Order: sequence, then C-alpha cells, then structure tokens
Amino acid sequence: MKVTICIGSSCHIKGARSVVEQLQELVSQNHLDDKVELCGSFCMGKCQQGVCITVDNEFYSVSPENVKDFFNEHIAACTAEVI
Amino acid sequence: MNELCADIGYKSINHYGEQLCGDHVDIVKQDDGSCVVVLADGLGSGVKASILSTLTSKIISTMIAENLPIEDCVSTIAATLPVDSKRGVAYSTFTIIHLKKNGSAELIQFDNPHVILIRNGDSTEYPKTELNIDGKKIYRSDIVLKENDVFIAMSDGCPHAGIGTAYNFGWRREDIAQYMEGLVSVGYTAKTLSTMLINECYTLYGEKPGDDATSCVIKIRKREPMNILFGPPANRDDCDRMMSLFFSKEGKHIICGGTTSSIAAKWLKKPLKTNLSFERSDIPPTAEIEGIDLVTEGVITLNRVIEYAKDHIAENKLYEEWEYYNNGAALISRMLFEEATDINFYVGKAINPAHQHMDLPINYSIKMKIVQELTECLKKMGKSIKVSYF
Repeated sequence: MKVTICIGSSCHIKGARSVVEQLQELVSQNHLDDKVELCGSFCMGKCQQGVCITVDNEFYSVSPENVKDFFNEHIAACTAEVI
Repeated sequence: MNELCADIGYKSINHYGEQLCGDHVDIVKQDDGSCVVVLADGLGSGVKASILSTLTSKIISTMIAENLPIEDCVSTIAATLPVDSKRGVAYSTFTIIHLKKNGSAELIQFDNPHVILIRNGDSTEYPKTELNIDGKKIYRSDIVLKENDVFIAMSDGCPHAGIGTAYNFGWRREDIAQYMEGLVSVGYTAKTLSTMLINECYTLYGEKPGDDATSCVIKIRKREPMNILFGPPANRDDCDRMMSLFFSKEGKHIICGGTTSSIAAKWLKKPLKTNLSFERSDIPPTAEIEGIDLVTEGVITLNRVIEYAKDHIAENKLYEEWEYYNNGAALISRMLFEEATDINFYVGKAINPAHQHMDLPINYSIKMKIVQELTECLKKMGKSIKVSYF
C-alpha cells in the first residue's frame, strides 16, 4: 500500500509535518513497515483540502487532529483485509 | 579582476560599555570592477573615535577611488580631522586595500596591524615599501592577485585581545594568521570568516572588550554562476520558453516550489522524488530531480533564506544554523551566500488559485516580495543579480 502525503507549502502550513510524523509512528507501532510505504509529494493541486493524502491513488483530506482515525479507518483496516 | 571577483565582509565589536564603534570600514566599488576598502581605527573609543574613523575611511576611500595620490589623502585627513582636546592630536590609523581592475591589489597601511595574506592556505609575507608622509610611516605594497587569496585587515583590538589574561602579549598576529589558515580552506564567506575572528577576540577579552575590534576579510575568487527557478509562469504557454532558458544557463540549478518542480521534472522527463525527512527544523523537506542540484519547497523555504540573508549582512548570528543544517533553506543559503557570485533568478508570476481563497500567508504579492527582498540582500553581499519574470 502506498500512502503519499503532500508536503507542499500550504499543506505544510496546515501541519503536514505533524501528519507525516504521526503516520510514521503509527505504521511502526503497528508493525506495518513492510506493508505500507510512506512517501512525500509536492502540491497535489487541492490546497484547500489539505493536508492532502492519497492511499493507492484514492484522495483523502486529513488534519493533524484526525490523523489517528484516518490511519485506523483507511490504513490499518485495509492492510488487515489484505492479510 | 575579470574572471576573478572579491567577496568582502567585515565585523566589529565595541569597547565594553560603548554604543558606538571607534573602528570603521568603508567600501567603494566602481563600475570598472575595481574596489577600495578602507579600515580606520580612531583614537580612543566611543563617539570621538567613531567620528575620527568614519571621516578617515570615507575621505580616503573616496579620494583613492578617484585615483588621487596617497600623499594628498594623508594631508587632507590631517587638515580635516578634529583635534583631540586632551591629547592635542588628530589621529586615526588606517589600512587601504585597493583592488585594481588589472588584477593587482595595492595595500597602504598606517599603524594598523599589518594585513595578513593567506595564499594557497598558508599565510604569506609580501614586500612592503616604507614611505614617509608628513612624518607618518606608511607602508605600501603591490600584490598580483591569485585565485583563493584571502586578505585579513584588522584594527589593533584584535591582537590586543586576551592581553594579560589568555596571553601575556595578546593574540599575536602570527597566531591569528594560523587560526585563520585553518578556517579559510573550509569555504566560509568573507563575512563569516571575519565573524569567527571577531568572536574569538570577544572570547579572549572575557566578553568585555578593552578596545574596539574589527576585522575585514577579502576573498579573491572565481566567478560562479547560479540559477534559481521560482514559481510557474503566468501563462502556461511560456513553460517551455522559461524551462529552456533556465536549463541552458551555465552553473548550478536550484528549483523552488512544488508546482514549479513538477513542471521542471515533466520538461526533463525525469521523476520527482520527494524526501520525507524533516531534519530537526520546520522547513519542508527537499526533493530530487536527476540533473538538478537542489529542489525545495517555495515560499516557506525562501522566507527562511531571507531571514538568514538579512542576518548574514548584519549581525551574522545565525550562520551556524545554515552552515551546518541540511534543510532546504540551509542548503540554498550555502549555495547562494558561499558558492555563487552571479545569480540568475527565473521568476514565474503565476497565481496559484488554491492559495488565494485561503487565509494562508502565501499569495502573489508575498511571492514577489520574497524575490525583491532576497535579491536586495544578495546585492548587499556583493553578488550580481539578474531577475527575469515570466
């Protein structure tokens, strides 16, 4: 699973850094390092909806406050299915 | 001075408790590429010394730049300087470094510690001729400039640092030369080299300088072009033109901005790889495109570069931050402040529609202000700047 986080200017201001760090933490806590690939991207062209994240090309809007819910719902749950 | 150019920087500290510095550095650059640098140290400290040294450096730099003989400068100063009521003399020492367009330097020194010349990494002695003008012993030298020559001019506050505390006789000129030899090879800017020398003096004085201390460093170096791309063009159809102009230029290439780097990557038909490491800083991570020397985010990164640039031309307190960190802003700062001498800006005036609707500190006018402020700072560092808008 490929999770891409926008680290462009406006997502950065909206807390991309915190989102990235929380996701890195959550992925390693849940031992998903070999299933989930986190990567960065510059502007995805949807700055108003930042912080912009895509999970295997599916678009999501995330904030530092709801990143944990996002992780449980869209990353942890989906990787469980794959198993 | 055609293929060579000079990076000039200086830094002073004041006598403990004084608000004004009694040393003064004046730099006059001329259109033909020649340059006159004068470091003057006025008698005493405080207001009186400051007036003496400011007058002296200003008069000399102006007169030498007009090719008037040194004898006239000395007599003009003697006739102009106000006479000290206590000591009954009008006095200011000076060092003149005149970089000529034929690629030589004329040194004229009166009563300041002699200029240190570091050539090929070693401090080198140079011949001096003694002149006697109005009873003043003045030393003149002519030196043919070589790439990587570093001249270090000082006021006597530098060798006097640490007298009686750290060293019996102060920080001797030979020791200063040796200290600087080690730093010169690293590639620091002239400003940072002079800052390091002065910071060391400050420490030797126990943070309470007993005299004003100033050092002025001149680095002779090769011209180094650098190109920086910032923002997509206002009109999409101009992308090709902007990219081909940018990439055809000699020198290193820096790209700032998310959309901008995507456009460049597409044009080069190379992938854009973003890093996710934030280094202990709040600057967005950098990215990579094969063939590009540096790819960074735009507005936030460049705002930090401006902060560093403003500090570098003034107090130079933050240099350790950009000198040793590896975030986008630090990397750009090192390339622009240290490496580059001629910088071409390619600025796209596109308005990012997504940015305009939000309460974000990013918009069109801020982008333009960034370019304006950054180029102003770089000009003050002595860089030649060209800006093209698209």
